[in-house]
Amino acid sequence: MSRTRLNTILIALFLTVIFLWLAIPFAMAILWSLVDPDHAWSYPDLFPQKLSFGRWSEMWATTNLAGALANSYTLAPLVAVMAITLAMPTAFAFGRLDFRGKAIAQFISLLPLVLPGFVIALFFTSLLFKLGIYNKFLGIVVGHTVLFLPFAIRILSVSFSQVRQDLIDAARDLGAGPLSRFSVAYLPVLKPGILAALIIVFIQSIEEFALSFVLGSPDFTTVPTILYSYLGYNFIRPNAAVVSLILVVPNVLLMLIFERLLRSEGAVTVGGKG
Amino acid sequence: MNASTLTGWRKAAIITLLLLPGIGLIFLLVGSVIVMAIAQSFGYFNLAGESVLSLDHWSGQLANRLLWVSVIYSLKIAFVSAIVSVALAYPIALWLRNPFPGSASISALLKAPMMVPGLVAAFLFINIISFHGFLNEALVGLGLISTPMRLQNDRYGFGVMFLQVWKNMPFALLLLTGAVQSIHSDILDAARDLGAGALSRFRKIVLPLTLKAMQGALVIIFIGAAGDYSFQMIAGPTKVSSLAQYMYTVQHEFGQWNDAAVVAIVLMTVALTGSLFLAAMVQFIVAGRRS
Repeated sequence: MSRTRLNTILIALFLTVIFLWLAIPFAMAILWSLVDPDHAWSYPDLFPQKLSFGRWSEMWATTNLAGALANSYTLAPLVAVMAITLAMPTAFAFGRLDFRGKAIAQFISLLPLVLPGFVIALFFTSLLFKLGIYNKFLGIVVGHTVLFLPFAIRILSVSFSQVRQDLIDAARDLGAGPLSRFSVAYLPVLKPGILAALIIVFIQSIEEFALSFVLGSPDFTTVPTILYSYLGYNFIRPNAAVVSLILVVPNVLLMLIFERLLRSEGAVTVGGKG
Repeated sequence: MNASTLTGWRKAAIITLLLLPGIGLIFLLVGSVIVMAIAQSFGYFNLAGESVLSLDHWSGQLANRLLWVSVIYSLKIAFVSAIVSVALAYPIALWLRNPFPGSASISALLKAPMMVPGLVAAFLFINIISFHGFLNEALVGLGLISTPMRLQNDRYGFGVMFLQVWKNMPFALLLLTGAVQSIHSDILDAARDLGAGALSRFRKIVLPLTLKAMQGALVIIFIGAAGDYSFQMIAGPTKVSSLAQYMYTVQHEFGQWNDAAVVAIVLMTVALTGSLFLAAMVQFIVAGRRS
């Protein structure tokens, strides 16, 4: 069998798997979210009897979905901006300077990613209680910011390392002060990295479940905790379908932008020569 | 901004100041969380009642059969999920090594599950395997079974392992694709010319050269799966708890912060030692094969 023939077979096989792997699960979620509240979809009906947006409007009117969305979408931008601001100096050090203990510092910067999320959530909560901090919004902002700092540090370090020393030197030789050196030599290269880091931290904060659940429950809800409430003891499938779609669709769109940003090679395009 | 020319204590001071808001904050939070857990496991920082040094929480939990059942269960889930994810990712990474028309879209589609939050993934999965789900309807429709099967919350945790693989295989693929693509084609061609078959090329060239990436993927997936809470709650067996679930139950339903702290330390130890053991094991196997 020739190599191209084998590849055609592999691609066909792959498309079938992807169909089962992605298309069917999402199609089912969309169908479930459109099941009319007055006409249940139950065995042995192959398809729902009636489709409508009734469930969406009903959930908007009767549940705390609006509140959860407001919480999530206030938290995430705040966390993203704070994480990027705090990550900048460290990323500069990682990307442009050599110093003793750099490897250890880089290892520490990854710690929030390797510790089990529920352990951090539980004992960060216990720490806040011990310190007498009972403001859940504040607690989650601080927690998310530190938890997702590693992403911002990593992405921005790469961006800083792509800034070309000859451009910085040229700007200095032409008499540019620190501020205009930054805006001429650094900023154009950093911009895609800053945007990418903002997006990834934003997505992580929107998705985060453990801390929002442990610290926030029962009165402070975010989109993932409200989804969990429909998946746990009170399993309400159409409601869960609606919240799932609300959670996943913006993420996929943002992620596509993120991929595009990562592919744009700031250093090469700005630097002129290769 | 030209700190690279500075020397001595001025440089050290500048670097410390630069690292403080990032690394300093991470160190402070992670450190105090771990100190909190250790202190509470020995009876300090009590949130209810007096703080006294006590080994009761440790001896009580270590004698509890439920803790050990959870340890075994979480270890099993983590081992199987990490190994299966990596095993599936290897052939795909090799397939996508040389670009062909459509390979970019294929790899984008394969990475899609990484963008799906865990809770949503669990929900999608439940829809497929539930009593009235796609799988049962399809099997009944095809005439393979006469009545739907109960597949949800299976007692062995297959559902949880499936979800872990669904979510983590793309991550393993991401790491392995990079490693596999950095292998020079010359090396593989030379081996082929010397008569090495596909399997021995994989064993003697690809595996050793991608060992670091594979270990990275195994460790990260293992730690994530060992500390899982949400997949377990939604798709896991009802009779066994994962360690994270057990820890939360102890704290939330029984209000035992100190006992939960013991479980937290057990969980961190299990995740760390288990993942390092797995990394050492593959190192041993791969190195052993080469000689």
